[in-house]
Amino acid sequence: MNPKPLNWTRHLLRVSVVVVLMHGLTIWAVPRLIMDRIIDLGTADSSLERANGVTLPPPTDHTQRRIVMPSPDLLYATCFFDLADGPIRVTLSTDYPRYWSIALYASTSDNFFIVNDRSAPEGRVDLTILPSSHDAATSKVQHHGTQVVISPTRRGMLLMRLLVNEDPAVRVSAEAARRSLRCSRDARRSAAV
Amino acid sequence: MSRHARPQRILLLTGVYLLAVILGVGSAWLWLTRVGISGVDAGAWRVNLLAGSQDADAYTRARIALGAVLALGRSETLYYTTDHDDLGDSLRAECRYRIEGLPPPARWWSVTAYAADHFLFPNDQKRYSVNGETVTLDDAGRFSATIGPPADESRGDPAWIPTAGRGGMRLTLRLYGASESVQRAPGSLAVPSIRRVGECP
Repeated sequence: MNPKPLNWTRHLLRVSVVVVLMHGLTIWAVPRLIMDRIIDLGTADSSLERANGVTLPPPTDHTQRRIVMPSPDLLYATCFFDLADGPIRVTLSTDYPRYWSIALYASTSDNFFIVNDRSAPEGRVDLTILPSSHDAATSKVQHHGTQVVISPTRRGMLLMRLLVNEDPAVRVSAEAARRSLRCSRDARRSAAV
Repeated sequence: MSRHARPQRILLLTGVYLLAVILGVGSAWLWLTRVGISGVDAGAWRVNLLAGSQDADAYTRARIALGAVLALGRSETLYYTTDHDDLGDSLRAECRYRIEGLPPPARWWSVTAYAADHFLFPNDQKRYSVNGETVTLDDAGRFSATIGPPADESRGDPAWIPTAGRGGMRLTLRLYGASESVQRAPGSLAVPSIRRVGECP
């Protein structure tokens, strides 16, 4: 018995759907894969100095090849988080007189929160990062005293930027500022989850 | 024919659908890597207004992730980028360029040179950018800087960004804490001019 002839119209339609789906899937996946890679590398890289839950990469130069287009005028500190294990508490206390900022990024690469030396002129930051599954109003009560930030994704990262120059005194001051940053599991986890 | 027709048909259809997958992924990749980032033009420079933003569409988010991941939103930082000079010619690492202009109205600004792979050019002086602290203003309040292969006069010159090797180059102008007028209309910024100096080797 001869097989039925191929229905090319039907297959052409299906092929078109596959092309569109794969195109869209690639566009959707690229930022997530890149962020996953950054978070995985940053979490696993044992060559980087860590203190208080914060990764302290060396000053940026041409040997830095983890993240594209790094700014050589900034000193960085990073903290990677996974909220599946509970909220994250972020604190900072600094009198660094130059520009600094703390930015939070979702695993989609979106920057969903930022605080800097102008929005926190006293140099104090106290944040509790919670997953989007939390009720924001309840969380504010449970985490009274800290600023509640809802992360749109479970995984993400914090990136602190400090403007530096070649002045050794500025470098020392910036180093002290980033070492005052702390990222830790929130002790009030049981009340919040 | 009937004995071999079925395996042949399966093979044919597998090939067709595999081609569809390759076409879908390939077209996305070509779009991300060949089509420039959308945004507002200012001279030779282009600024993307959705970098780092949660309002970014999927294409913008993917392109930013590839070329400038972990960017900040426009209220914090504006990123102007270019890979060509004022005449529209592609920037080359082996050529020398003069950048001139007024200091942008921002709390802090810098111009950084990147190789085609989006990483910093290697140089033993560790000089990768010029900014408001490293340039000198002339009587008209304008700054100038040189970007190109190191030369005798470049050593010790804080307004010279040494490049290395041959190939494409990208410049990024960062404005931290840009004035409100620039934040509202980034295309209105009087951006630095980029002119090639001399012939390329």
